[in-house]
Amino acid sequence: MKTFQKNIKLYLGIATMAVFAASCKPEISREFAPATQNVDFSKYIAVGNSLTAGFADGGLYLEGQQVAFPNLIAEKMKTHGGGEFATPFFSEAQSNGSGYIRLKALENGRPVTESVTDKLAYTAAGVLAKYTGEINNFGIPGMRLDHSGVGLVSAGNMYFSRLLPDGEVGRKSYQEFVGNRDHTFFSFWLGNNDVLGYATNGAVNDSPTGTTVLTAVNTFRAVYTQFITQLTAKGQKGVVATIPDVTAIPFFTTVTRRALLDAASAAAGTTINDLYIATKTGPRAATDNDMFVLPFSSLASTLLGKPNAGMIPYGFHPLNPIEDKYVLDIQEASAIKTHITDLNNVIKDIANQKNLAVADANSLLTRLKTGMIFNGIGVSSAFISGNAFSLDGIHLTPMGNAIMANLVIDSINAKYGTKLEKVDISNYRGVKMP
Amino acid sequence: MRKLLFALLLASPTLTFAQGSQVNTQGIRALGMSGAGSALFVDETSIFYNPGALVKSANNAISVGASAVMYRSAFQEINSNVQHNTKFQISPPFSIFASFGPKNSWWKAGIGVYTPFGGAVDWGTEWPGRFELNHLALRAIYIQPTLSFKLTENFGIGGGFVYNIGTVDLSRSIPVFDQNGNPGRAELSGMGTGMGFNIGAHYHLEDEFAISLSYRSHVRTKLEDGDAEFTVPAAVAASFPSTKFSAELPLPSSFNIGISLPLNEKLDLAGDATFIGYSIYKKLVFDYEDNTPVLADTEQTKKYENALSGKVGLNYTANDKLALRTGIGYVYTPVRSQYVYAETPDNNRIMGSVGFTYTLSDKFDLSGAYTFQRIMERTTTNVETRMSGTYKTNIHAPGISLTYKW
Repeated sequence: MKTFQKNIKLYLGIATMAVFAASCKPEISREFAPATQNVDFSKYIAVGNSLTAGFADGGLYLEGQQVAFPNLIAEKMKTHGGGEFATPFFSEAQSNGSGYIRLKALENGRPVTESVTDKLAYTAAGVLAKYTGEINNFGIPGMRLDHSGVGLVSAGNMYFSRLLPDGEVGRKSYQEFVGNRDHTFFSFWLGNNDVLGYATNGAVNDSPTGTTVLTAVNTFRAVYTQFITQLTAKGQKGVVATIPDVTAIPFFTTVTRRALLDAASAAAGTTINDLYIATKTGPRAATDNDMFVLPFSSLASTLLGKPNAGMIPYGFHPLNPIEDKYVLDIQEASAIKTHITDLNNVIKDIANQKNLAVADANSLLTRLKTGMIFNGIGVSSAFISGNAFSLDGIHLTPMGNAIMANLVIDSINAKYGTKLEKVDISNYRGVKMP
Repeated sequence: MRKLLFALLLASPTLTFAQGSQVNTQGIRALGMSGAGSALFVDETSIFYNPGALVKSANNAISVGASAVMYRSAFQEINSNVQHNTKFQISPPFSIFASFGPKNSWWKAGIGVYTPFGGAVDWGTEWPGRFELNHLALRAIYIQPTLSFKLTENFGIGGGFVYNIGTVDLSRSIPVFDQNGNPGRAELSGMGTGMGFNIGAHYHLEDEFAISLSYRSHVRTKLEDGDAEFTVPAAVAASFPSTKFSAELPLPSSFNIGISLPLNEKLDLAGDATFIGYSIYKKLVFDYEDNTPVLADTEQTKKYENALSGKVGLNYTANDKLALRTGIGYVYTPVRSQYVYAETPDNNRIMGSVGFTYTLSDKFDLSGAYTFQRIMERTTTNVETRMSGTYKTNIHAPGISLTYKW
């Protein structure tokens, strides 16, 4: 027994060591770090439109700004010599910025949205409180490439005029605004609105301020070259992103002919077999390949079947077709798709000439159309349930921004041999539900 | 109007089972030699290791053992330097073996209650794989009445009937988000039963060489009426009803060959090789009682391969009261790279052990063992969840058992 008592101390000792050892976590040896770095991230600026600004749910608000993909990237640049990344954030007191829409309820699976109207940043109708601090995120919702050299544009864009002293509003162009910032690295994602403005209006150019024009390829090439030349004047490196196929976003893919017919038939109490749409070549019956814009879903119940002066019901007859602006018909969609390909070729061309990284957002969005899986999360371009697109059907959710950030990070790493770490997508939400 | 606009993605949670994470701690004596010793140890734990050896044990005995399996995994997502660890927790496998029968007779009976499969892993709700798994606790308890017969003085055979009670409890995040941006959660728990058998033959030459052959059948454990509970925003609660589920979990068969031989008066060498029939685990089918467009029955591919393990150990009789032992082992994983899930971040593993038995009196023995296992680092991309990263796992398992002989 004595030996045992002597030994039991030893065994207790072993057991104590065991517990100590167990508390030591396994260490994974793999390290993700660059061997050498030939790119300077100390002052990164982000040039772009609403997608760069973090616009979501039909508005620009603080939560969206904080997870804008350039902000997520800037955070990862900190391990690679990246500096502070200033964003024209709305203050906490005005955190809802321009206001936005949120999901109020799902009634029988039907999304009902409402506007958020508290904590807004308006000082007058259409005027947002000024921001005067440092800026690294230059994303301006609504900014078009073809407008980027036009001084007048800032007067008509509250997100832009918010960042300018009063004396410069309506005078300073976006290119001038972004210039002379002593940046060392940039991301550049403009061009979407040069197509999207036209497409979301059903391929109808009717805006007096030029926001629904489809920018011609030659114009696009000239302005793109000019802007990129300015941004690379001191040999700066950067990344540009391509224009997504607009027909891959829920704004166009959610409201289908079938859904409209079902709803119209139910409302009329009789089966309606055809919807008639106005096209550039005259009215015709809609097919499943024609796309209706997302806002038409809330207009349809009042518009469809409403008789005109000649008592012809709206949408049900070629003599009173659904207006062209609500429909991106198959011919229009296909023409736009071709145009986007042409513009993306310009982007890739110029990026090659200037030796810049290219983040192929077009290819990513095309893959999202059929659905992808990230860390066990199903992500697609489906409205609400797809997790990637916010309630406006055009702009990204925080999760969508994280996915975009990883696309850009991958392209930077591939081009410049850096090892910027990926963003953990699972930390970012999809659409909030009540 | 928008009724048809909204369709949630399929988000049915599936149960995942920590099959590969088998840590054999049934016999503390064998544990001290990393699991070798089915030919060497002829005692009540033979009920598990080889029912054919039971009849040769000199006494009747009852032994109670328990170990503290500390399973600690790490994960690092690809292109990231952030390491995530499972929470520290101890899962306590236990075993009770009892043998009965007349001394030096041609037969002996016994019963064993033990936990051959089981584990607990808790990654928490903040890691990159949260939509695959938050936590899992799985336990299979085998109850095995056994009979063992002597055919000749040196040759024994035996067999037992296995009744399995399995319990499982798991949770994972689901990608629907509330007003604060927090994801929903699914919690599944259930209990099931299954049956199988265990047979073996043991042959020895007088105090020299012994050989052990044993076979444990697979056990299909059927879970019925498990509870599935969901925490989701009110707007989608109807799509995620609290419901029941059923599933079937096949636990693998194993075939074991063990040998032992004395190296000198005090030192015995034992070696065991085990062939594990994991290929039975091809898929995991999940049947929810209430299906919704979101909550559909699922079928998850597992495609396990048969696995092999080898263990060798030494048993040193220091004096008439104390035996010391040590052993090492290697286990080939049944889990293919693209089917590695967070619940079983498995890979080939190495292990090393030390142990002792101290004779307290004529009646009582105390045994202790300590084993360390390292599941090798493995970088994988899961075929289903597309999770891509590196896993590594350390397992520490001290154990102790007390035997009463008569």
